[in-house]
Amino acid sequence: MTGNKTGWFVTAAITAALLGYTLVGDDEYTQHLLMWSALNAVLAVGLRFMLLVGETNIATGAFYGMGAYVAAVFTTKWNLPFPLALLAGGVLAVGVGALFGVITLRTKGPYFMLISFAFTEVVRLIYTRVEWLGGNSGIIGVFPPQGLDPYMPALTILLCGALILMMYLCEASNLGRVFQAIENNDAIVETVGIDVMHVKLLCLVIAAFALGVAGANHAFVYNVISPGDFSYLVPVFALAYVKIGGDNHVAGSILGAVLLTVLAQALQGAGALQHILFGGAIIASMLVLPDGIWGGVGRLLRKARGGAA
Amino acid sequence: MALSVGLFAQLLVNTLQIGAVYVLFALGLTLVFGVMKVINFAHGQFFTLAALVIAATMPEFTARFGMPAWLDYFVCFGLAFIIVGILGAVLYFVGFERYLRDLVGSFILSVGLLLFLEGIYLWLFGGAPRVVPKLLEGQVSLAGGAMESQRLVICAIALAATAALYQLVAKTRMGKALRAVAEDREAAMLQGIRYRRISFYGFMIGSGLAAISGGLIAPLTAITPALGNDYLAKAFIIIIIGGLGSIPGAILGGFLIAAVESFAGYFLDLSYATIAMFVLVMVFLLVRPQGILGVAER
Amino acid sequence: MSEPILRAENISRRFGGLLAVSEFNFDIRPGEVLGLIGPNGAGKSTTFNVISGYYKPTSGHITFLGQDVTGLSTVAMSRRGLVRTFQHGSLLKGMSVRDNILMGTLRSLRDNAAREKRIAETAEMVGLADMLDMVAGSLPHGHQRMLSIAIGFAARPKLLCLDEPLAGLNHTEMGAALAVMQRIRDDFGTTILLVDHNMRAIMQICERIVVLNYGRKLAEGTPAEIRNNPDVIRAYLGDGE
Repeated sequence: MTGNKTGWFVTAAITAALLGYTLVGDDEYTQHLLMWSALNAVLAVGLRFMLLVGETNIATGAFYGMGAYVAAVFTTKWNLPFPLALLAGGVLAVGVGALFGVITLRTKGPYFMLISFAFTEVVRLIYTRVEWLGGNSGIIGVFPPQGLDPYMPALTILLCGALILMMYLCEASNLGRVFQAIENNDAIVETVGIDVMHVKLLCLVIAAFALGVAGANHAFVYNVISPGDFSYLVPVFALAYVKIGGDNHVAGSILGAVLLTVLAQALQGAGALQHILFGGAIIASMLVLPDGIWGGVGRLLRKARGGAA
Repeated sequence: MALSVGLFAQLLVNTLQIGAVYVLFALGLTLVFGVMKVINFAHGQFFTLAALVIAATMPEFTARFGMPAWLDYFVCFGLAFIIVGILGAVLYFVGFERYLRDLVGSFILSVGLLLFLEGIYLWLFGGAPRVVPKLLEGQVSLAGGAMESQRLVICAIALAATAALYQLVAKTRMGKALRAVAEDREAAMLQGIRYRRISFYGFMIGSGLAAISGGLIAPLTAITPALGNDYLAKAFIIIIIGGLGSIPGAILGGFLIAAVESFAGYFLDLSYATIAMFVLVMVFLLVRPQGILGVAER
Repeated sequence: MSEPILRAENISRRFGGLLAVSEFNFDIRPGEVLGLIGPNGAGKSTTFNVISGYYKPTSGHITFLGQDVTGLSTVAMSRRGLVRTFQHGSLLKGMSVRDNILMGTLRSLRDNAAREKRIAETAEMVGLADMLDMVAGSLPHGHQRMLSIAIGFAARPKLLCLDEPLAGLNHTEMGAALAVMQRIRDDFGTTILLVDHNMRAIMQICERIVVLNYGRKLAEGTPAEIRNNPDVIRAYLGDGE
């Protein structure tokens, strides 16, 4: 799949167009929309990354939140430089993630999902109890350095794009095949001498890094963070982005994230209607398009090509 | 703060009363998981609907027929039960049947349903909290303290319902079929048990239990369309501790969580109690992932 | 007189109240094809699982290549050169034949070019060379069984333990499978431990046979000796086989 030249070309073209737009265009609303979509795309791809080994990891939300809090603390309390704050988000997430993984990856499937759910909620509750982190109100005033501020959209797209690319390359490599093998039948993988726990841990750590950095980015994009921003609903929505976009390919997760971010913004403030339409979109796609939009489009294209040939 | 006998007794009764409702609610969730291997995030919506229907229709009934409050309540309870039953059947056939045994797929579907239904409830019933009028006047003296009579009666009904359900699962053919399917689906099918049919019944019983617990909580709290969400999170904890799919486990876990909430909530801040519960859950999952009474998978 | 490649000394394995295997001793000689047979419930699977590291023995020792490996996991055993297959579904159904065999090469080879070469070689040996891009789950049963053997063999183990690899194969397929096993031993020097129910196949390919009954060793010897052993005959006929 790495050899798919059309795919690379299209991706590069779209990225270039987006970057160009963010640097030249002046519609602030759209720029913000792009940033939010980019961050949600990393959430979706990060969550999907662990789905590759067959685990639904709700704690991806906790890793994201940790990255945000680290960046906020580095900037507002310790006055440390911007790039360091971004990196620190990833580093902390990796540290906590590794510890979490070593302890919990011995469980699987629904048990692992529920324990990751519990972990995410505990972390959120701890944020609400710790005064130094702002308690329930969180932290405000998380700004990038002044000169960088107008370039935040471009920077966000580049950074998120790089994180997604990193995960995609891992998936396309032999490591990704081992992930797939573990998801298929982990007992077989063990018989050929590959330690499944270690590989799952590696998968988790890679995702944690990406999510931690993206979380740090999130803090600088939104400028204000609070515990409520990182509840279990965040990774649950990310899961919806993955499924609706199509879980067979990374592009599906990106597509799902963009579409649903835009939809959520369009429905902002519509009260009951927001719930109904958003929920309805998820239901409709699950019932009508089980392999998501990307899968559906793929099928259509194949039919068209098959018909023409 | 010393724990006098009177205080202890009050907290204990409180535990039983809260616990009974938690148990019924969690039983539905664990039953659906055991049979269908599905975690229904929208389980709380059945609960909420039952409470909302009762709260919305009782004033109408009272106005039209002038019956005593408790009679109104039972009639509206029956109505709510039927409505939730219809919703459950629709959701099963349109959605969950397709995602049997698909953990992630059914989970996402149920998330969509949670949002969708909450929106519908907001639209139909409005967001303002509703209250059910008092069913029974008076208080009862209990171990040095006083408790509302209606609270006590509801507690008794909830406990009776739990006992009835336990008997249903343990003694009836349906119950045995449910347990057989939960334990080993293929073996059960080899014995002639129709999986799809049992799944349907399991789902209906599950949503029925959510409806009953929602109906029982209705007179005791303020009802909004978001009512089910808190209970859902607690139900997850309960079924993890008790063992996913285990019925006795859900009963044990339900009262355990209610006890932690009652006692820890009285002496400590409720958030700390909640954190403690979650940590307990995580420890449980690590040490004994099958829960207290669950069966280990290999 | 060469050292045995694997020695099981006084192996016992208990499951709760049931003693599935007790005081079981046997050696596997390097380069041989050894069969492990016995009536249903004799303890073959348990013994097999203990030897390959899937279960820990309740008591006893296992020595592999001169080192004590008692209680080591499947992963650890595999890294030392002992690879096992499973009775059911011993392959990766959702992945291509190539990717299935690739898994076997990952730990033993570092270079992708070398891995490709070994995949081609292994696939050719088991007759799957022109099916490399097919999804494993879509293969007919006989080919799936071959693929299971291929995955294990791709790791070029010193000892290959096959758990009922011939189940469900027709006459032709069985002949092909036995020929592959023979080649694995003859051309690569791999020792093979074979557990199966098919008596004819066992007699045909194994040089030595160990018979289990009620968790204990009943007999050990060449196919001819086993075939004529009255205890063995009684054990099988007595069970209504």
